[in-house]
Amino acid sequence: MKKILAFLLAAVMVLSLAACGGGASSAPAASTPAASTPQAPAEGGSSAAASEITLWTYPIGDWGKEDAVKALTDAFTAETGIAVKVEYLAYADGDDKVNAAITAGNAPDLVMEGPERLVANWGANGYMVDLSDMLDATDKGEINEAVLSACINAAGECYEYPLVMTAHCMAINLAAFKEAGADGLLDLENHTWTTEDFITAVERLNAQYGDVAAVYCAGQGGDQGTRALVNNLYGGTFTDAAHSKYTWDDPKNVKALEQLASMDGINFDASLAGGDEIALFYQGILKMAFCWNIAQQLNPNAADTGAGLTMNGEEIVFMGFPSEDGKPKLQGGIWGFGVFDNGDEGRIEAAKQFIKYMCDSEHTVDAVKTANYFPVRSAAEGTDLSTIWADNEIMNEYQVLMPYLGDYYQVTTGWAGARTEWWNMLQKVGEGADVATVVAEYAANANAAAG
Amino acid sequence: MSRALQRRENIAGYLFMLPSLIFFAGFVIIPMFICILTSLTDANMHDKAMLGNFIGLKNFVELWQDADFLEALRNTFLIVIVSVPAVCAFSLWVGSAIYKMHSAALSAFRCIFYLPVVTGSVAVTVVWKWMYNNYYGIFNYVLKGVGVIDKNINWLGDSKYALWCIILILFTTSVGQPIVLYVSALGNVDQTLVEAAEVDGATDMQAFWRVKWPQMMPTTLYILVITTINSFQCFALIQLLTSGGSGTNTVMYYIYYTAFKLTEQSGHFGYANAMGVILAIFIGALSALQFKLAEEK
Repeated sequence: MKKILAFLLAAVMVLSLAACGGGASSAPAASTPAASTPQAPAEGGSSAAASEITLWTYPIGDWGKEDAVKALTDAFTAETGIAVKVEYLAYADGDDKVNAAITAGNAPDLVMEGPERLVANWGANGYMVDLSDMLDATDKGEINEAVLSACINAAGECYEYPLVMTAHCMAINLAAFKEAGADGLLDLENHTWTTEDFITAVERLNAQYGDVAAVYCAGQGGDQGTRALVNNLYGGTFTDAAHSKYTWDDPKNVKALEQLASMDGINFDASLAGGDEIALFYQGILKMAFCWNIAQQLNPNAADTGAGLTMNGEEIVFMGFPSEDGKPKLQGGIWGFGVFDNGDEGRIEAAKQFIKYMCDSEHTVDAVKTANYFPVRSAAEGTDLSTIWADNEIMNEYQVLMPYLGDYYQVTTGWAGARTEWWNMLQKVGEGADVATVVAEYAANANAAAG
Repeated sequence: MSRALQRRENIAGYLFMLPSLIFFAGFVIIPMFICILTSLTDANMHDKAMLGNFIGLKNFVELWQDADFLEALRNTFLIVIVSVPAVCAFSLWVGSAIYKMHSAALSAFRCIFYLPVVTGSVAVTVVWKWMYNNYYGIFNYVLKGVGVIDKNINWLGDSKYALWCIILILFTTSVGQPIVLYVSALGNVDQTLVEAAEVDGATDMQAFWRVKWPQMMPTTLYILVITTINSFQCFALIQLLTSGGSGTNTVMYYIYYTAFKLTEQSGHFGYANAMGVILAIFIGALSALQFKLAEEK
């Protein structure tokens, strides 16, 4: 009797451990994001799997909010019968989660982000499905040419089907500018200004308030702002036109960094990342923010306290980055969908249906509006997209910046390593190191890592 | 007890241990061996098998030429050298001061010092980050208020201060358990020996160092080893506060960064695992040294 009891106890313990182990053995799952619904296995019979796909999305406007996305996916499911299980990633650790899932052979079917990840990283490493068969002549005619070229690699393979785009910009606190007598330096109609005016404005604001702005460099979050600021001040570049090497050791960038480092009121702040800078600007502590775009303008700091207003109700004006001729080259943001190649044709087909539904159908209007950005195409299957924001004054006004969209260089090889070199370099500049030396050193590191 | 009965009991004992052994082998022993093996390869996430090609000791040789790794190693040792003695000394002092108190007061002190330990590290870090803030943090506010500084200090953004700020947080989250252990160890000291020493004319200090301290040696050894390991493995604070910037990179953070952020770099898993092996060797060596010294005592 005792033997039987001992055996049963041991068996129960082993089985219970096996059950626990099953959860733990999907250790990458422990590091995968909190799911709104349980994730289906990536592999399985195609007939069953095709009725269900997984989407992992970064917080691209309201595509990071469950309520908004559920409305879209429910409508998709109602029309196609394909269920979509969505998981929401954060920029802070989203890449780690996707990489862990890829390593574990547990990647989602769909991922929503930009070409720097989908094309230059996961696509280049062979994890993505080529979507070029989804692009016919009509699509190519309707989609913005620069956007499309960022989504297609040199071999003609398309690893991202684009949905929305925007131009990243900066913002100023208009009330503070008026108080400091610097509002006259702004071209409020075109939302542009010159380097000279920027320097004068910082001097006046510094005399009035002390802290004016921060060249944030605690990490890579929001680094498009610091790159655009430095590149625009004196016309420097970040990469070459062919996106084959990093060129931020350009003397024009060195001049810009020396200028910024010498300015009272501009703090090279290694304790802040882009999100922290936005929060300080929203709180009225900083008078300029370099990490800004239309989503922030519509809902500053995601605080739901009113479009285009700081916490104290002061007016926020979005601006292009200052440049010598007052014509900035703005960093673009492109977001769309990519399909991970999980080896199941049924799931790939279902994922493509999802993309077609969201990016090229009468439902594209809803998908674009959920992102709070601009459509990458003029029309989708006969539905005009050029006027979808006609009823929104801020969105309409923001379009004044779109002609200033510059090169989408984020697809350069070694992008992840280069971003790290950039913010580490800014920290060194902030600590007072010789600008030309550290710029050359870190740009060389980025090029060496890119091979 | 007959041999047959003994054997049956042994088998039953092993069966009861089996679940834990499976868990231990699956999640500790086997990954440890995989770590050692892959440290000798150029494994990276883009290899389907993720085992890479055997490259011998190349990763280990490269590590000693990697300025970032050497800086991380230097910072890690600084954390250990400062944090471990400080934690032990402070815990011993607090433990000695409170262990004779009334039970209510003793419980209150235990709670106060243990609170940072049971509070989640993310919550603790958020509060510290707020206190250190360059623009509205309480430290700058107070120091400016009393006239110690006239310009805000960027505590976490300035490499002169950032690592020390992290050591301070690590200190506050590390002292709770040693204090509780020392209070318990002091309570278990044989009072007859203390009284005998006092009768023989020993001062309080002599009674403490010659009678109580030797009896607390096993506790001290445990505290030293645990604090050393925790200090070597300092990661969450670095990731949440500085992302390894401002001169705060540590080996643990650099391992994570190399393994999961530098995914475009060839051989990144193997390189990160080589760092893990080096860190384990240092931890093992230092712990062995501590055991040896305690044994000699």
